Amino acid sequence: MSEVAQETDSPGYGLLGLAGAGVMTALAAIFIYVPTEKTEGIIQRIMYFHVPSAWIAFFAFFIVFLCSILFLWKKEREWDIYAHASAEIGIVFCTLVLITGPLWAKPVWGVWWVWDARLTSTLVLWLIYVAYLMLRVQSEPGSTRARYAAVIGIVGFLDIPLIHFSVLWWRTFHPSPKFITTQGLGTGNDPSMNITLLIALGAFTLLYFLLMSLRVRLERMKDEIDRIKKERLYSH
Amino acid sequence: MNNLGYLFAVNVFVWGGVFVYVFSLVRRSHSLKKDLDLLKETLKKDSSHE
Repeated sequence: MSEVAQETDSPGYGLLGLAGAGVMTALAAIFIYVPTEKTEGIIQRIMYFHVPSAWIAFFAFFIVFLCSILFLWKKEREWDIYAHASAEIGIVFCTLVLITGPLWAKPVWGVWWVWDARLTSTLVLWLIYVAYLMLRVQSEPGSTRARYAAVIGIVGFLDIPLIHFSVLWWRTFHPSPKFITTQGLGTGNDPSMNITLLIALGAFTLLYFLLMSLRVRLERMKDEIDRIKKERLYSH
Repeated sequence: MNNLGYLFAVNVFVWGGVFVYVFSLVRRSHSLKKDLDLLKETLKKDSSHE
């Protein structure tokens, strides 16, 4: 039996269990452990979904950036598979950021959306990686497609530092970072808020690795099918 | 919508979104597995005819 077929028979139950336990712990921390914030009230709990979604989107696009560089350097299909898989997951979580943000903004700011630097640059990031995935869907499979995708994957990542520093460089509606500050990590926050945020970040990270393993397996199966089809074609 | 409604909506979108994505991955995986098995079976038949 081939390596791919063997992998599809073992869906990584260890990782599934870990991610499941992480998500359950995070939900318990968000809804039971952490006290309600004084200013915003219960709505502030959206932060424990919004910030980890943003973290996973940025982390996923960083993996795209890294794997795209490695692909252009080493020309190995493996790096292209990781970049493609990570971009798709990044888009899922970036979409969640763009949905949870307005749902938090409406009761706090009174509007769903403002065209400030943080929100606009995040929307631009989403559009860049949607274009990345569209390029992969629309063009013929091969090294040319992988090369073009890698270039978009690298250039697109340059938007992330802009998103991070936008709240410091320009006057924005979006608040400055509350966890990563110049005074240190989580300074000034209630310790229970920092712990809950860390648990949520950990749970979402486990979820990312679980989704990556599923998505990478899918891409390897496609490769296996293409390989067999090519072999059949040449043998006849 | 009251504040609890917004928090509920966030939960629906986050977990619903993750669930839909996982479901799409599993569905695509099953479909590819079926194609792969079919191809292997065809290959086996081809080799037994030769």
